[in-house]
Amino acid sequence: MTWKSPVALVREALQGQRAREKDLRSLMSNLPYEGLEKGKQPNRYFPSNAIKTTKYSLLLFIPMNLYEQFHRLANIYFVGLAILNFIPVVNAFQPEVALIPICIILSLTALKDAWEDFRRYQSDKKLNNTPCFIYSRKEKQFVERRWKDVRVGDFVKVVCNETIPADLLLLYTSDPNGVCLIETANLDGETNLKQRTAVSGVCNSFEPESFNGIVVCEKPNNNLNHFKCYEKPDNQKVGAGIESLLLRGCTVRNTDHAVGFVVYAHETKSMLNNSGPRYKRSKLERRLNIDVFFCFILLFAMCLIGALHFIWLYALPGVPPYLVPPANGHLDSPNLSSFYMFFTMIILLQILIPISLYVSIELVKIGQIFLITNDIDLYDEETDSRIQCKALNITEDLGQIEYIFSDKTGTLTENKMVFRRCSIMGTEYPHKENIRLAVLNEPESEEEVIYNQDLQPLPTGWSLESEEANSEDTHRHGSRRKSKVLGTTQSDVAFSSPLETEVIPDRKLLQQISRTGSSSRCQKIDPYLEFFLALTICNTVVVSMATTQRRRPLTSDNLRYEAESPDEAALVYATKAYGFTLLARTPDSVTVRLPSGEVLVFEVLDTLTFDSNRKRMSVLVRHPITKEYVLYTKGADYAIMELLGTPYAQRHLDCYAKEGLRTLCIAKKVVSEAVYKHWLVERQRALTAIDNREVLIMDTAVQLETNLTLLATGIEDRLQENVPDTIMALRQAGIKVWVLTGDKPETAVNIGYACRLLEDEDLVLVIDGRTLTMALSPDLRGDFVDLAKHCRSVLCCRVTPLQKSRVVKVIREKLKVMTLAVDGANDVNMIQAADIGIGISGQEGMQAVMASDFAISRFKHLKKLLLVHGHWCYTRLANMIIYFFYKNVQAYVNLLFWYQFFCGFSGSTMIDYWLLIFFNLFFTSLPPIMFGIMDRDISAEMLLGVPELYKTGQGEGDYRFTTFWVSILDAFYQSLVCFFIPYFVYQDSDIDMFTFGTPLNTTALFTILLHLSIEIKSWTVVHWVVMLGSVLFYFIVTLAYSATCVTCNPPSNPYWVLQNQMADPMFYLICILSTVVALLPYTFHVLRNSIALSPLIEAKHLDRLDPSMREEWMKEWRSYRGGGQVQRSTLS
Amino acid sequence: MMASSYSAKDEDGHITVSGPGGAALRNKKPENTAFKQQRLPAWQPILTAGTVLPAFFIIGLIFIPIGIGLYVTSNNIKEFEIDYTGDDVSSPCYNCAENFSWNSTKFCTCTIPFQLDQPYESNVFMYYGLSNFYQNHRRYVKSRDDSQLNGNMESLKYPSKECEPYAHSDNKPIAPCGAIANSMFNDTLELVYNDPNGTNVSISLVSTGIAWWTDKHVKFRNPGGSNANLSAVFQGTAKPVNWRRPVYELDADPENNGFINEDFIVWMRTAALPTFRKLYRIIQKKNNMAPTLPRGNYTLKVVYSILKATDLNSVIWMGKSAVSRIRFKFFQVR
Repeated sequence: MTWKSPVALVREALQGQRAREKDLRSLMSNLPYEGLEKGKQPNRYFPSNAIKTTKYSLLLFIPMNLYEQFHRLANIYFVGLAILNFIPVVNAFQPEVALIPICIILSLTALKDAWEDFRRYQSDKKLNNTPCFIYSRKEKQFVERRWKDVRVGDFVKVVCNETIPADLLLLYTSDPNGVCLIETANLDGETNLKQRTAVSGVCNSFEPESFNGIVVCEKPNNNLNHFKCYEKPDNQKVGAGIESLLLRGCTVRNTDHAVGFVVYAHETKSMLNNSGPRYKRSKLERRLNIDVFFCFILLFAMCLIGALHFIWLYALPGVPPYLVPPANGHLDSPNLSSFYMFFTMIILLQILIPISLYVSIELVKIGQIFLITNDIDLYDEETDSRIQCKALNITEDLGQIEYIFSDKTGTLTENKMVFRRCSIMGTEYPHKENIRLAVLNEPESEEEVIYNQDLQPLPTGWSLESEEANSEDTHRHGSRRKSKVLGTTQSDVAFSSPLETEVIPDRKLLQQISRTGSSSRCQKIDPYLEFFLALTICNTVVVSMATTQRRRPLTSDNLRYEAESPDEAALVYATKAYGFTLLARTPDSVTVRLPSGEVLVFEVLDTLTFDSNRKRMSVLVRHPITKEYVLYTKGADYAIMELLGTPYAQRHLDCYAKEGLRTLCIAKKVVSEAVYKHWLVERQRALTAIDNREVLIMDTAVQLETNLTLLATGIEDRLQENVPDTIMALRQAGIKVWVLTGDKPETAVNIGYACRLLEDEDLVLVIDGRTLTMALSPDLRGDFVDLAKHCRSVLCCRVTPLQKSRVVKVIREKLKVMTLAVDGANDVNMIQAADIGIGISGQEGMQAVMASDFAISRFKHLKKLLLVHGHWCYTRLANMIIYFFYKNVQAYVNLLFWYQFFCGFSGSTMIDYWLLIFFNLFFTSLPPIMFGIMDRDISAEMLLGVPELYKTGQGEGDYRFTTFWVSILDAFYQSLVCFFIPYFVYQDSDIDMFTFGTPLNTTALFTILLHLSIEIKSWTVVHWVVMLGSVLFYFIVTLAYSATCVTCNPPSNPYWVLQNQMADPMFYLICILSTVVALLPYTFHVLRNSIALSPLIEAKHLDRLDPSMREEWMKEWRSYRGGGQVQRSTLS
Repeated sequence: MMASSYSAKDEDGHITVSGPGGAALRNKKPENTAFKQQRLPAWQPILTAGTVLPAFFIIGLIFIPIGIGLYVTSNNIKEFEIDYTGDDVSSPCYNCAENFSWNSTKFCTCTIPFQLDQPYESNVFMYYGLSNFYQNHRRYVKSRDDSQLNGNMESLKYPSKECEPYAHSDNKPIAPCGAIANSMFNDTLELVYNDPNGTNVSISLVSTGIAWWTDKHVKFRNPGGSNANLSAVFQGTAKPVNWRRPVYELDADPENNGFINEDFIVWMRTAALPTFRKLYRIIQKKNNMAPTLPRGNYTLKVVYSILKATDLNSVIWMGKSAVSRIRFKFFQVR
């Protein structure tokens, strides 16, 4: 180790800092510097690839963990109290003993943290030591190293099915076209393959040692879909974007090997994306915090009363012998001792602030989430996925939802696209066989029937049916059989239903194609041919061979199509049905086989990828025969319409929309060579730009996409199963369902009818994006919300993701209601704007799922999730919290408080401190937690059968302002009973302090547990074990303690106290009498149940009937209640 | 292959998912157990007036005989109470109360005549009672050393600091230390029966068996074991300031002397409430023929000593309402 001057070291550090902070980084190859010391390395400032996610180190664990833990207010409160107890004039307990609770809490948390950290350490170690191949100049080949050895500027080789160790700029692949396929499932959950291309300009026979360029890239950021850099091999810039970046954590597929230049090590995009779980605070918890604040006020008031000590002191006639002066022999003045007394009382009554409540709530939520994720009804066989709970602390919010905002595509619908109809040159080809196929395959599914029913009364006026007249029975039969065959061959594919790939060609269209195919050769551009060519070429579908182990639909040619969006796949499969087969796709070419068997190779000049602003994508190809430059564009209908050179009849498109089909438009344009050359220069400039690259690239795309000629198509997105049923149930549950979609109003309305969101008698608001922008302007916002409040449902069409989130925000803020947003694709904004975001893991992107609080696989799961789990979680938690307040006030706090009136406000306790701690820690902690996890007020069948029951949780729900105070009052009453019955019994007797405390303690235990028993709605074996176990445990522990503790805990004197008491019949009489009298007010509770039947009680009665009777009753009851017209005020 | 699978599938009408990877793919499926699916068999009581009111009636009915039993028992208890505080001029102990000074060496004795209208047939329990005496005051309760009382020699020499300022006197450790011991009730009560034939019969009062057995035999122990010479063991310790005699002279009976003196043990079991009584003596029934205490006239002799004595008058206190009252009580359970 050579010596360096401190100045040099500082300079070095500063340089490193500057290099890391710069917006642009210039990276060089490490190879020329191989073997040199670190100071000579060009990329020495950038961190190595070794990761360390552990929070603590072995030596500093204790101080760091304590520091971390003291960020929690509760712990500070505990420690403050413990410290207070060390002040001799103030202490209420033995100082050491007062440390026990905080020590237990801190050490348990520390143990948990240590365990988690150890697990992280192990996984880090495993990752860091994963082998990979790095090029070594010395050995002239790639040598095996570890992940942690990878540095910025290295050349790394990755082979098929291996995970990528760092963010690599792809320079070379084994594929002749420079393509590398990766699977990003580890990063975003998307299982389709993504295509990455090697940076152009690097020749095919790539040698790492010959690489002499500089790679200039941006500062690391966490955007997975965005990257920009350029490379300067020989003073000539070559731009590269995300399409050339291999991300750490992804897996290489279908490519034998690839070589990349390490751009980011350690600061990789996947690492920067690792933010911990999100913390949301539930509505109930916000209410709870207010009540905890009231508890503080209560505590303060009670302590002030305790400080009345001085009045008592002043009333004394002299200095009685029981007043013990401090060690110095001089009594404090009454005022000063009152002041001390205040703090003593805080220590004594500390349990009033329910710190244990927070711990218990967390435990209860873990339990609730465990039960939710284990619900077999929320499991989807097809994708083998359970519900995922990502936000751990808002389960109870599920029971209070009043507004649901739903996206359409992928949420209400399958997002499994089926090519349905197309319209070419003004002629409509309805593909009737496909519709029949859909019905045939799922004869049991209800929504198809409803869908058809609702179609009938639609005032279409102009029907598509009339155009299609020649439906032949024989043909239909044939197609049915064919569909069966197709269906079964793909039955072992887990990912997709057969419908995704099946298209039965329309006979008329097929004839049309064969006619043109035979009569006129490709010399003349035929619109039909052109249409299918466009469909085949204009996409980003990746064709993969059967070499990988992944399960994907296999076509007869051993071809698999991997598409980023399902509609692309649908279109390619459709064209295949017509004989236009996409054989291969490379960055430079597309190979298509025509129905005639002829194989055409189109040279791809450029691909203008899809973005959500343009809402379309284009591919620029050179026709192999005509040598024309042709631009094919595909996109949402309105995105194409505005670009058309010649106006086109909107008729068919409107019709498609009315049928609920998603319409896509295909357009083409022939570009002259001059225009293309000119455009190419601008495009090149845009690609190499670092600033505003996206904007520039988009601009160039827009430049080219003008004056198109239209070809049209319609795609169906089927409704998911049980969607109408789910929406009906949600509406009966008093939840308003809004659908926010980017589709056309006609499509949206149609879907609305299909999923029974709209019914004829409803007042419905259908609003489109432009109007919505106006409605959401500050001055109209109020009126809009007022109007929407009165509508049964609201449909927003043609809205952008941003508008969606604004709608959610406005409703949430203006109406102060609980909102839930469901989305199946990429509307992260909307999901995050709502109180609860639910993602549906469907076909398209997983971004919504990643950002969501709960991820489900089907829309229908929402019904059980809200109506059953939501209701349960909410009632359980609300009741548990109320019970906890009651318990903390009743037990001890008040018993100790009343005792102060009889011990001269001196802060004495009549119960041994160990037993005090045990009481809260062991004897009474488990039952409420079990109650919070497992109580079941009404059966799941009942909750699903009568969705109206959900209304009990909405708005204020069970947990109201009054509930808290009623429970506090009840606690006060019970504590009075529990204290004063023994008091009057033992008044003027020779009872000693701890013997007096024993019946109090026991009565408190019995009342607390019996109170809970009354609250418990269903007793399972777990309940019995926990409740009886708690009582038994109390007696065993207390008996053992009083039998062994002779002088163990001075000054308390528990020795043989309980044994003596249990030999005295008076003890049992007191316990029984106090318990019964204390619980008497519950009769009112019960009387209310019998006089004014709340729906919940009624439902409970119904629950006891046998299933067939129950069905009948349910129907009757619902008709009597007017099917969802229950006023909330009548609910308890 | 395709044909065979086709016909098989055609019959059941829908496509089932199968295949080699099928089992492995389904591994996320939750277990269908009653617990995880929240279907555990449960008893679901519904509390209504119809179910709860009868329950209350039944509980009430159970309590009625218990109440009657308790009422009868309590009516059979005979109690006789004399207040000898001496704050009233007419009280025989007025002089003692007024003239008492803590450093007086002379005992003040007062005699209180009283009459029993009914004979007390079985064992009679004699209590002394105190009112507004806060034996449960936090500092007071703490002011003791349990290990010293348990016979620990170390604690005998070095009392716990909890005993301060009653831990040392004249640089000698106090045994027993602390405020509780220091303020021990040490009035002596004697009961004399004025026989109608003119003789005064002193009634024998049993001073053992008044404390908890566990206290006497386990919790409280004399230092140096049961057979040690107490005066030698307590050598080098001082008596509590307010006491007249050292702890090893509390009783002549060696089984009731020192820390295991039962009067002392009873006092050390601090009362829960400010108005309390403590068992003082037991008058045992001698034979089955005569009542323990026949009807007639009696005299209570009180050697008045305690509790008003204090050396801590450095602070001036006001008010008169909360005077500690001392009572004497007979109690007999039939």
